[in-house]
Amino acid sequence: MPDPAKKTIELRILRYQPGVDAAPSFGTFEVAGAENMSVLEALQTIKDTLDGSLSFRWSCRMAVCGSCGMMINGEPKLACSTFLRDLPPGPVTVEPLNNFPIERDLVISVGGFVKKIESIYPYIMPKEPKTVEQGPYRQTPAQLAAYESFSDCINCMLCYAACPQFGENPDFIGPGAMALLQRYNGDSRDAGRQKRLDTIHGENGVWSCTAVGICSEVCPKSVDPANAVNQNKTNSAFDFFLRFLRKE
Amino acid sequence: MNESRPYRRPAPKDWWAKAPYRAYTVREMSGLAVAGYGAVLFAGLYSLSQGPESWAAYVRFLQSPVSLLLHAALLAAVLYHVKTWFQILPKTMPKLILGRAPVAQRTITRVATIFAGACSLALVLITLGVAR
Amino acid sequence: METFETDILIVGAGGAGLRAAIAAAEADPAARIALVSKVLPMRSHTVAAEGGSAGVIQSHDSLDAHFNDTVHGGDWLCDQDVVEFFVSRCTPELIQLEHWGCPWSRKPDGQINVRAFGGMKIERTWFAADRSGFHILHTLFQTSTKYPQIRRFDEAFCLDLIVDGGRAQGATVMSPATGAFSAIFARAVILATGGAGRVFRQNTNGGIVTGDGMAMAYRHGVPLRDMEFVQYHPTCMPGSGVLFSEACRGEGGYLVNKDGYRYLQDYGLGPATTEPRNKAMELGPRDRLSQAFWQEDRKGRTVTTPQGESAVYLDLRHLGLAKLKERLPLIRGLAMEFMGLDPAEALIPVRPAVHYTMGGIVTDIHTATPLAGLFAAGECSSVGIHGANRLGSNSLGELTVFGRVAGEQAVKFAKDAPAVDAGRLVDQAKASAAKALALRDQKGGGERHSVLRKEMAATMEKGCGIYRLGTEMQETCDKLAELKQRLGQVTLDDRSDIWNTDWIAALELDYQLDVAEAMAQSALARKESRGAHQRLDGFEKRDDENFLAHSLAHYRAGAAPDITYGPVTITKSKPGARAYGALGEQLEQAKKDGTHA
Repeated sequence: MPDPAKKTIELRILRYQPGVDAAPSFGTFEVAGAENMSVLEALQTIKDTLDGSLSFRWSCRMAVCGSCGMMINGEPKLACSTFLRDLPPGPVTVEPLNNFPIERDLVISVGGFVKKIESIYPYIMPKEPKTVEQGPYRQTPAQLAAYESFSDCINCMLCYAACPQFGENPDFIGPGAMALLQRYNGDSRDAGRQKRLDTIHGENGVWSCTAVGICSEVCPKSVDPANAVNQNKTNSAFDFFLRFLRKE
Repeated sequence: MNESRPYRRPAPKDWWAKAPYRAYTVREMSGLAVAGYGAVLFAGLYSLSQGPESWAAYVRFLQSPVSLLLHAALLAAVLYHVKTWFQILPKTMPKLILGRAPVAQRTITRVATIFAGACSLALVLITLGVAR
Repeated sequence: METFETDILIVGAGGAGLRAAIAAAEADPAARIALVSKVLPMRSHTVAAEGGSAGVIQSHDSLDAHFNDTVHGGDWLCDQDVVEFFVSRCTPELIQLEHWGCPWSRKPDGQINVRAFGGMKIERTWFAADRSGFHILHTLFQTSTKYPQIRRFDEAFCLDLIVDGGRAQGATVMSPATGAFSAIFARAVILATGGAGRVFRQNTNGGIVTGDGMAMAYRHGVPLRDMEFVQYHPTCMPGSGVLFSEACRGEGGYLVNKDGYRYLQDYGLGPATTEPRNKAMELGPRDRLSQAFWQEDRKGRTVTTPQGESAVYLDLRHLGLAKLKERLPLIRGLAMEFMGLDPAEALIPVRPAVHYTMGGIVTDIHTATPLAGLFAAGECSSVGIHGANRLGSNSLGELTVFGRVAGEQAVKFAKDAPAVDAGRLVDQAKASAAKALALRDQKGGGERHSVLRKEMAATMEKGCGIYRLGTEMQETCDKLAELKQRLGQVTLDDRSDIWNTDWIAALELDYQLDVAEAMAQSALARKESRGAHQRLDGFEKRDDENFLAHSLAHYRAGAAPDITYGPVTITKSKPGARAYGALGEQLEQAKKDGTHA
């Protein structure tokens, strides 16, 4: 017997099974007792009790591993930290992240993004190499603050789903990878700035960005990738003009 | 079997007309008003080069109700553009660190807007002074 | 079936696996390294570690002090030679991470800052706000991209080891994206697959923490050691079990019961001072704090949350908003987003949840397992540093210290190992693939694996919780045996190849049931109370005469494991009374006076 105190919430989920479905279509599920659930918990309940074939990525449940990005009511969100109680009444729509190829149900292709973060030399190229015996570098809180927010990126790719220019040009390096680039370029211990700048000139580099800015609004960790991209437009432009003056 | 066939959803061509991108579209469109002002000034310069009669016609046009309406619209659009321009400003510059923490972006926007407003006001006062 | 040949195969790309890969690449730049992970490396559960990593750095601190805290915290079940090596390597590894870019929090002059942590006499926990594991993982992952000889197999699910001629020689993996199998042959194999906390109901662990590597090694005859020691972290979110870092208490937070009383003073941890005092009250070790919660709950001095869980309160209000924002931003975000309360103004309901498996794949000090060519590091291993209770901030150090050792040792082993005979090994891989497919395609009897998983988690909590009874542990053992039978009756909803996560969850459950059984049987066999293993059925005391020994669970197909015991290495710290708070200080003083006299 249904418990009247337990609210039932309807989820409309975009389903796609390659080889079976020609194109994705919505499937509808009713989840009972969902008022205190996150969207992730609702999806898990569906998978456990109604349809084991529903596929999605998840792990930490605490908004730090970056696995469970999806479109919830049309907005890119982490499913684990989006609670049904905070969404407007009525059916909740769940789709895979925008702008990415769909591999199955809510699972999208992530390989392209990983290649992008690998392409920008995401590691310290030391200004003054030091051995471990020589101890840690000094870095004042102010020097840390210069790049700290960019180091908080959890690679959830919500910013890519929010970026219309990435939608138009899948080769655009995009907000997340640029945040990582700025994380290292802004680090007082690093000397790899020039090498990284060389990877972002041109159409697939920073110049696809038109400062729409929604990437920063959807970021669950306040990384502000729009800041990373746009300050590097200036850097890229300066670099373009100054390279003629530089002695090679 | 054993083959991944990812489905590519077509990207909607009208994304710019929808929330949350609409504000961006309006912002970019308001930039056209700046070009509009430029065109008006350029027309004035051109009239000046064509002699006093042409200049007088230009001035008459400026005083016409159509022109006043146009200017009101352009002014509103340019002011909106200025406001958004300063909102984006902190996004285009390196983090400003004061003490141990970055200065809030809202603060940068506010200070820059006030500074630009003060400069504009000074310019207007100087112009009025010179005109007198 | 596609096959790959490599020199070193690493399964798991969390902190330990990545550190091992980098160490191997640096030890032998010509070595080919395959790094297999069932998720993208930055999703690995190292990401969720919050508080920090211990390493002696202050001038009034010493390696001896870190050693003593660790051995004391582990209730003398630690291998002291390994602990001694461990504490000496922690700080160099933390400095190495710093050189690679880890954004450690700093003092105003730019030096590394450290915070207090439970069971540690002196502040020595390096931290990156309250996202220490996240930053360590991302730093290691990003640094690993520097080495072209590290070939990553991201999102590749490991089905089994390939063992031939008494030597580990590779693994069989399945790609979830395509359902395709492949065999990776290697001269040496490192397991770095993490813990198994998901076998319990309320836990702080990510969904991927299912003990895969433990089960794989176990099934090939490598004993699982000290599996009865499962750590309950005292401050977790009721219902979901999401972690509120020990750093909350390291920064000065209080634990209070429903009457606002700091109840820890009633359990040998007092006196209750306003300012945090190391190794006392809220800065006691995790086992004691979780046990105190259990007692407090029995006395009816807890509250019941809307999720129906009992809870006490974590009080951070006196720390103030500025400190919370600087030191505990993740914690504040979790409380606000998940529970709708701001810790600057409100009490956070918390309760213990399973956090860490002290035991694991038995290894020596060089991370070598008894199976030639197989190494293990990180939470999946039992190298001997945690004993019966791990101290907070010793696990991140373990990842880097022993991840590095594993990488270097594997390189050494691989150099002398004969080449693999791919032709013979591929049959093993095919058999593993067939077994996995059989589970996917079996007709079964309509059982749902989600039901089995819930029953497993419930019985583990009941029988192997904070306090344990022989009868209940026996029930848990019986239940687990039943669940293993019922796994043969599971019918999957999904039999497709591409992203069949239904299938992966069933494969993981298969691993979990073996690991859970090793835990429950080891617990049942240990007739004493020590660290995280506390009994209430006549074995309430520590029994050094009979049980100052590591338990070893040996796999037996189709039967409960055989439990034997191995020696504990004791070098310079003779087992003594384990006390905290004022009593602990007295004992320490007496010891000091004794040595000076």
